[in-house]
Amino acid sequence: MDHILSLIIFFPLVAGIFGFLVNKDSIRVYGITVAALEFFLTLALWVSFDGNIAGFQFVEHVTVISHFGMSYHLGVDGISLFLVILSTFMTMVALIGLSIKKDAKNLIISVLYLEMTMVGVFLSLDVILFYLFWEFSLVPMLYIIGAWGSDKRIYAAIKFFLYTFAGSVLMLVGILYMGYLYHATTGVWSFSIPDWQLLVLPFNTQLWLFGAFFLAFAIKVPMFPFHTWLPYAHGQAPTIGSVILAAVLLKMGTYGMVRFLLPLFPDATIYFLMPIAIVAIIMVIYAAMVAYAQEDMKQVIAYSSISHMGIIILGTFAINAEGITGSIFLMISHGIVSGGLFMLVGCIYDRRHTKNMSEFGGLAISMPTFATIYGIMLMASVGLPLTIGFVGEFLSLIGFYKVSWIMTLIAGTGIILGAIYMLTLYKRSFFGEITNEKNRGLKDLNGRELVALVPLVALVVILGIYPKPILTPIDASVKKMIVLMEKKAVTQKAKDFIIKVNTIKGGE
Amino acid sequence: MEKYLYIALFAPIVGSLIAALFAQSPKNLFTGIFTSALIFVSFISSMILLNYVDMDKIVHVEMMDWISAGNLSVPFGFVVDQVSVIMMVTVTLVSTIVHIYSIGYMEHDESFNRFFSYLSAFVFSMMILVMSDNFIGLFIGWEGVGLCSWLLIGFWYKKHSASWAANEAFIMNRIGDLGMLMGIFLIYWNIGSFQYDVVFANIVNLDPSEVTWIGIFLFIGAMGKSAQFPLHTWLADAMEGPTPVSALIHAATMVTAGVYLIVRAGEIYILIPEVGMFIASLGAFVAVFAASMALVNKDLKRIIAYSTLSQLGYMFVAAGLGAYWIALFHLMTHAFFKSLLFLGAGNVMHAMDGNLDIKRMGGLYKAMRPTAILMSIASVALAGIYPLAGFFSKDKILEVAFNNGSYLLWGALFVGAGLTAFYSFRLVMLVFFGEKIYEKDGIHPHEAHPFVIYALTPLALLAIVAGFFEHSFHEFTTQLLSDYEFTLDHSVGAMLIFATSAMALSGIAYAVYKYKRGGFSENIENWGVYKLLSNQYYIPKLYEVAIMKPFTALSRFAWLNIDNKIVDASVDLIAKTIYGGGEKARKMQSGNLSSMLRWMVVGIVVLLALAIFYRPTV
Repeated sequence: MDHILSLIIFFPLVAGIFGFLVNKDSIRVYGITVAALEFFLTLALWVSFDGNIAGFQFVEHVTVISHFGMSYHLGVDGISLFLVILSTFMTMVALIGLSIKKDAKNLIISVLYLEMTMVGVFLSLDVILFYLFWEFSLVPMLYIIGAWGSDKRIYAAIKFFLYTFAGSVLMLVGILYMGYLYHATTGVWSFSIPDWQLLVLPFNTQLWLFGAFFLAFAIKVPMFPFHTWLPYAHGQAPTIGSVILAAVLLKMGTYGMVRFLLPLFPDATIYFLMPIAIVAIIMVIYAAMVAYAQEDMKQVIAYSSISHMGIIILGTFAINAEGITGSIFLMISHGIVSGGLFMLVGCIYDRRHTKNMSEFGGLAISMPTFATIYGIMLMASVGLPLTIGFVGEFLSLIGFYKVSWIMTLIAGTGIILGAIYMLTLYKRSFFGEITNEKNRGLKDLNGRELVALVPLVALVVILGIYPKPILTPIDASVKKMIVLMEKKAVTQKAKDFIIKVNTIKGGE
Repeated sequence: MEKYLYIALFAPIVGSLIAALFAQSPKNLFTGIFTSALIFVSFISSMILLNYVDMDKIVHVEMMDWISAGNLSVPFGFVVDQVSVIMMVTVTLVSTIVHIYSIGYMEHDESFNRFFSYLSAFVFSMMILVMSDNFIGLFIGWEGVGLCSWLLIGFWYKKHSASWAANEAFIMNRIGDLGMLMGIFLIYWNIGSFQYDVVFANIVNLDPSEVTWIGIFLFIGAMGKSAQFPLHTWLADAMEGPTPVSALIHAATMVTAGVYLIVRAGEIYILIPEVGMFIASLGAFVAVFAASMALVNKDLKRIIAYSTLSQLGYMFVAAGLGAYWIALFHLMTHAFFKSLLFLGAGNVMHAMDGNLDIKRMGGLYKAMRPTAILMSIASVALAGIYPLAGFFSKDKILEVAFNNGSYLLWGALFVGAGLTAFYSFRLVMLVFFGEKIYEKDGIHPHEAHPFVIYALTPLALLAIVAGFFEHSFHEFTTQLLSDYEFTLDHSVGAMLIFATSAMALSGIAYAVYKYKRGGFSENIENWGVYKLLSNQYYIPKLYEVAIMKPFTALSRFAWLNIDNKIVDASVDLIAKTIYGGGEKARKMQSGNLSSMLRWMVVGIVVLLALAIFYRPTV
């Protein structure tokens, strides 16, 4: 188990390279096998992961450029563990559900390559390594959207690439400056996250660095008003692209916030907390309203993702264990639910070659199983208790309640608006008589689609009823991080704030 | 005893899941019988538990941890005490009857199996709601019944109006749910637990303003579920669902969950009488407000729905004024006679080929005597005539209002009692007596299956005798709930009873007298008041014009104008500027030697200027 993390990262890459040798007809089987093996590797990681240890485990450290303190440094803790499993799981499910035949070989190899970068982002403990994977992840996605997308795919792909890339460049400046500061303070070079977490920075410096990192993450999430690349990317991307984009790539942004912003710049986090929370609330409400106005089923889900990401950010910036643990859980659950919803849209798109809701109506008559699974996913998306969607949303909101009750109330309207756009979508597409003759006699879900979707449904229910195996490790790491933040904070205001939001009663 | 708790709780979901396996196959009588049997098992277990709790014992189990993060920890815990066991018995009893009734009612429906799966799932959610030992468990059931109500209102999903009503109900309920969540959050950050016993033990130590907020937020949740003004419009529209659903969910059980919540959280509300007064006032308002709409409506089911709304108002008056056991008592008796009324209405509706307009019925007594008798019993009970159940529970509420010195509330309820009696008998008269108008439509009414009628008799029996359990009910529930002190003189009490009974009787007498003589002239339909009432005070219209339309317009504006024309356009503008700038600057690299030399001179001048004027301070 010494090098399991390296194995998890590079197995898809190596397998992808060998994929070029595989016969075109068997590439699908090959891709699914590789993804399944990769998923089992991450499961093995979970089994051997000790949930009681809050720090990093399975750490690998090899110095690469000792002169500048850059190293090959990997590790996993409760915060990243489930994001890694989510990445490999969703990749596997998306590959099973894949219906594209054209150039399938290139597509599958791109997906495997993408899988490596996603896992790499979550497992890297060296910031330079993190940055490499972060940027690499853009390339396969650019290719997937650009080559297998719909009519405006080139525009959408380039917009996606340039927009997120522009944000990251500023982060690179921040990384270099941070490295320089570390050297100036301690006399040695290091780009290791655990080292950086121990560095106490003056307040003003924190503000600048926070800004540089934040912009990159905000575009990735995407936060309002940096979100407009997302509807295009989803609108043009093939199903598999949307699934991975929504399920995992967006989570890189919120993961970055938890991993970098909070522990590295605690004072700046508290300082910027209110403006960020306001933007997050705007996201929740505004994106929900825009989702309601959509005609295209896929765009509804794309905008609903933005709305849910707003809740995740609120939970993260609650700065208490309830909120942050909840927001990480919500990342997982949103990954499963939105991934599932995008796959479902893909199923109907394959049959009807349209995603426009006015073309549908009465689908529950012709495709009852499809309607049932869609209904379950939809209920998870609106956060019904005993589905996976409730746990994270509930914890995030309860966490932020301690920061501001009125803002929580406003953000909470998201659960009402979410019900409005989702139920309207469902009514327009599934209920009523069949008005469009093309919808009559549509085939219900086939075996391949069921194999891909049923595990998602099962997880939605199982983790909704019993989320504890996931919450416990996350919670342990989050608590450790909060203690660190409180210790590190240089201003009394931040220290008081952190203690206040983590105490029940009093501290007003 | 824990065994019975688990059986009572889980038997319905087992039935639901097994019926769900047949969801897509053609009608299978097995699903109906099987689910009914399991609900009956659940009822028997609840009865055993009732008997057990009667010996001053409480069953409390904790199954497993559900959510834990930070300091927060929520288990799946269930408690059977004096309050929950009353709810369990009421819910399972009515559910059993509704299940059996539905076997007959839904016999020709293509989605027979699916119906039973949903119906049993509802019972399961309702059991979680009433049996949970903490607020989050209650919330699970709360949302679960909301989901099942959505599924069942929209059961005939091919009908546009049904799926619309289902969505309306779900969304309106969500508004209340947000309020309730806020209350739960506030409880958590003040007490650190969601368990009823911990919360109620510590609530006295809190700042009164915090308690007030908790009370307000929780009541907002109750308003959504119990369809109190202004969140009431969904209940009448929910009548789009199959009639057994209206009887079970929208009369006997789910809509009373709000009352249950207030009763359960009585220890909180007892500390904040101002909020209680507000609840009572709103309840009294709704009692009259809803009754007034029932006066003129022509839709058989909607009349009963408004009546339900009005009776919920009565319950809230009792709960708001601190008479928790009386609220619970009225909740129970109301469940019996109101579900009976609804199920009877279902028989009528079937006999009329689905027609609901009571003006097109009349004289049905001949064709369907058992139903007519059952519905009359239910109506008498609803009107509150001695010795039927409604008399005992409703009169107590009026007494409470009077005892409290809230004469205005008492006056409203007093008027409400008259209205109730009138509209109930207007319905009975128009449906069962008088001219047979349905013959003009060529309808040949037929009575429901005998087994359906037999299934209803227990409800009729309870509607008649349940009132006599008042004393034992009082003793039983006040072991847990705080008692209500009557300070009224006996003679005053007797006077009140007499006055209310007289009011109800005169309401009935007036309805009978008027409709024996052919009812009111058509002219009244042109009166302003009539129009106001028949249009539900124009509130649905107002919601559409003032909320839904602006919301839709604003959403479209946000998408088309803000998102596309401002946010995205500025992103593209930046991209275009850079791209355009590059396009222009490209001309410098023309390869023309003389222009290149000119640019070189510019460059040298700039560098020289820098060298002369820029002095870095190192």
